[in-house]
Order: sequence, then structure tokens, then C-alpha cells
Amino acid sequence: MNGEIEEIRGTFKPELIPAATGGNIDDYEKALHTLMKFVGSMSSALEQVSGRGANAIVYQAGKRMGHEASKLMEKTDDLEKAMGELSEVLGQEFYFEMWKPSSQDNYTVERGDETEVKLLFMDCVVRQTLRRTGLPQKGPLCYLLYGYIVGAVEEVMDIRGKLDIDHIGPNACLKTLTIKWSGK
Amino acid sequence: MVEIVIDEDACVGCGSCVEDCPNDVYEMDEAKNKTKVVKVEDCMACLSCHEICPAQAMEHQDIHVAKRLYIDRSVKDAINRII
Repeated sequence: MNGEIEEIRGTFKPELIPAATGGNIDDYEKALHTLMKFVGSMSSALEQVSGRGANAIVYQAGKRMGHEASKLMEKTDDLEKAMGELSEVLGQEFYFEMWKPSSQDNYTVERGDETEVKLLFMDCVVRQTLRRTGLPQKGPLCYLLYGYIVGAVEEVMDIRGKLDIDHIGPNACLKTLTIKWSGK
Repeated sequence: MVEIVIDEDACVGCGSCVEDCPNDVYEMDEAKNKTKVVKVEDCMACLSCHEICPAQAMEHQDIHVAKRLYIDRSVKDAINRII
């Protein structure tokens, strides 16, 4: 019935992997939107209380997630291969590709003992959460993704990295990943 | 390959897209006082220009359209019925 909560009644018994998750796409949509609201509220409250320190807290949380998620990935020194592995770790919800302006020949740019690569994030659940909650981009929540990427790259390449935002947009965000070879 | 179509009848020549684009994809056509696409190959389809354009004068074709899971499907359906 419309507007009323439909109760699910049935038998429940302990099982290792439930045969059914319960709920349909509408339930998933509502749960996702509620979670987006929670996360958005937490992010803005964190910013209100901790100021710019909020970015560091969220970055650290993301970094930990990145290290955890990439623990089983194959270690490599090849940045482009690492990006491929990173893409697997991040999955469809953080779909990205390496990007370069037409005037540049290669995706990677060497600057002394540093290598830079531009990453174009097309699908991003953080961006979607911000749009759902009406929060601006480039805030603390975006630092979760920076931390995640840096943590994953550090884990896969065993090297120090950092991520900077070049540009944010409603459909894609461009970021520069810098890795420092001397940080190995 | 991205293709950008500018609706010259709609473009008000404010130049917002020219200023906003990080890759200098647009330039002002001073004679017409309209925006024009000069470097489509550098367009990364971030769609900042769409967001800033007051006249919704542009269309990007053949791009990756990001998922919009934040939209309520019921609201979208209701709006589609009205429009």
C-alpha cells in the first residue's frame, strides 16, 4: 500500500549466508538515501566542530580504508599498472580513468623524484552524497576519497603519495596523484 | 569522442563557461557575442559549464554520464508525468 509501511513476516532461522536479503529496489533506494543523509550530516557537523581539522580526520579514515582494501592486491612499481589495480579496488562506485590534456604525450609526468598522473573521477558516491544533502564539493567528505586513493596507492606501490583536486564538476572531478619515489 | 553543441539562439554571451572551464575548451566569439568551442579534445565532461550556464545553451554528446543515485525515482516519475 502506498505510504504505509509493509511489514515482512516469515520464519527466521540461523544460516551462514541468507538465501534472500529481503526488500526490493525501493527499499535499497531509501536505505541509500538515508545513509547519504547521515554521512552528509556527520560531515557538516564534523566541519562545524573541528573546522579544517575535519579534513585531516576524514583523510586519515579514508587512508586506513585504502590500506585495508588493497592489502591483497599485487604489489607493483609500475604506476599505470597500479592505477589498474586501484580501479579494481575502487570498483564501479568510484569509476575513474587516467586523463591528459591533448598537448601532453603521456599520462605520467616526471618532475624530479616525483611522478604525477591526472585521474578523472566520473562516478563517485561521495559526489552523489553531497548532491543529495546539498553540501558543496571539496569539503571534508571529499577527503575520504583522497585518503582512500592515497592509502591504496601506498599499499600497492609501497610508496608515499598525495592527491590534489584540480577541478570539481557535477559529472566528473579531475585530481592529480603525485607519488614521491624517494619516499620508498 | 565528445561533441559539444552550442545553441546560439539560447546563448546570452555572458562568458561564464569560458571563465569556468579549466581546460579552455571555450572562447568568446567577439563578433557574434556568443561562446564557441575551440578545444573539444580537452573536454573532460565535468559539466561545470552546464551548471554555470544561465541559459542551458549547451549539450554534450557521447560522454560518460555519471550515475545519479541520489535522485528519488518516485519524484523523477512524478515530474516526468507533469512535463
